Amino acid sequence: MKTRIQVKGVSVSFPVYDNAHRSIKKAVLNLTTGGRIAEDIKHHRVVKALDGIDFDLKEGSRLGLLGHNGSGKTTLLRVLSGVYAPTSGQLITRGRVASLLDVSMGLDPDATGFENIYLRGVLEGLKPKDIKNKIDDIADFSELGDFLNFPVRTYSSGMMLRLAFAISTSIDAEILIMDEWLSVGDASFNVKATKRLNALVKKASILVIASHDEELINKICDRVIRLEHGHILSDEKIKKTKAI
Amino acid sequence: MTQISPKNDIQKGLSAYTIWSVLGWHDIKQRYRRSIIGPFWFTLSTALMVIVLGVLYATLLKQEIRHYLPFLAVGLVVWQFINTVINEGTTILIGSQSLIKQINLPLTVHVCRGVWRNFLILLHSLPIVILLLLLFGFWPHGSIVLLPLGLLLLFLNGIWIGIILGILSARFRDIPPIVINLTQIAFFLTPVMWSPQILENRAWVAQWNPLYHSIEVIRAPLIGSPILIESWIWTVTFCVLNGLIAQWLMNRYRNRVAYWV
Repeated sequence: MKTRIQVKGVSVSFPVYDNAHRSIKKAVLNLTTGGRIAEDIKHHRVVKALDGIDFDLKEGSRLGLLGHNGSGKTTLLRVLSGVYAPTSGQLITRGRVASLLDVSMGLDPDATGFENIYLRGVLEGLKPKDIKNKIDDIADFSELGDFLNFPVRTYSSGMMLRLAFAISTSIDAEILIMDEWLSVGDASFNVKATKRLNALVKKASILVIASHDEELINKICDRVIRLEHGHILSDEKIKKTKAI
Repeated sequence: MTQISPKNDIQKGLSAYTIWSVLGWHDIKQRYRRSIIGPFWFTLSTALMVIVLGVLYATLLKQEIRHYLPFLAVGLVVWQFINTVINEGTTILIGSQSLIKQINLPLTVHVCRGVWRNFLILLHSLPIVILLLLLFGFWPHGSIVLLPLGLLLLFLNGIWIGIILGILSARFRDIPPIVINLTQIAFFLTPVMWSPQILENRAWVAQWNPLYHSIEVIRAPLIGSPILIESWIWTVTFCVLNGLIAQWLMNRYRNRVAYWV
């Protein structure tokens, strides 16, 4: 089965139930940030975060998403990873999706490093045996050694990031969804991290990455979509993909 | 692997038992980390509660303590489960929002995690009940073989209620406080601390209460009485009905929950 993502006329509107009577209306209708604010039939305020998005990604696609804050990049990534169901339109994905949206997802500060690795593996639906294999890999990579037996709340923020990064990049994905390129830690660790991330990206059959860094997108993607107010502003091929 | 859809969410959630059982157990470990006797605090606090309330109410209601204490113990342990599942059910999806917004899991997994956590607490309180029964020389009724079925129904019902209240509360934030008030009232109206016999001709208050029958299918055999057929009918009907409502809510609103939490 070939991996594929088809996005057909996908729109997403967020209902905003609280602050219903506050006057956000006058303040926000015409800012460059954020989606369009409108009202639905029941007079709930809604934010139209995505509006009629269309694209089709086949095996080997490397898609970069560019846009202002609030242009709908992260929302689109969440739609692709299945968290938000489109309000209208259709999304068809084939292949195992893994997303790196928030690296510290599900990290429990009171649990030890090892426990956190285990919990995350369980959340991703792995079998205990596969998690055991992973634990060694993550322990090696994060270089945290005996600290993995300590509760995560005793870690420095750098150590925490190392662990989070090691855990979240130890995935096996056919479709990889990333919000910003991850960079962590001190110089020497960052080199390692970049290498690991590159390997992960290479292995994935489809990559979708959102970023503010045009240079990065030009380097690793072969197609770039610019978003504004939840619309596709432009959808272009990137001609020469340099090796990374 | 088929994708998670509103229609198969419950089924997929229930079958992902490794996820919710590990997470539920982890929650319990978390709560008692660095405590010496750990989850056996549940056992101890149940014992304390049963003994204090038991002595007090046996006197107030003029009941014989050797009959009253075991009756109260079983009822209280089961009620604690029902009560916490209902109250936590209202916040279970709201509380899992960071996971819901990051990873595509069946919503039922989050509900099962909470119900399983409380089921483990129930199991930890059970030794007290058994101890009391032995102490007062109770011999279980033959229908004790049906106890696993009663527990299963209790567990499933907890999941349905968690789904129903979880979805509704995610949308309408006034539901959690309403539910807390209602469960408080329900505690006094349900025969946990008193037995329906003392109501005499007003026993319908108990007879028309599905919670009473859900408790009764577990309590009756343990304290040596038969399970009445109407208790089974009430409990099974209640369970099926809740299951249908849960599925209906899933079908309609499953995909909206991520936007609401």
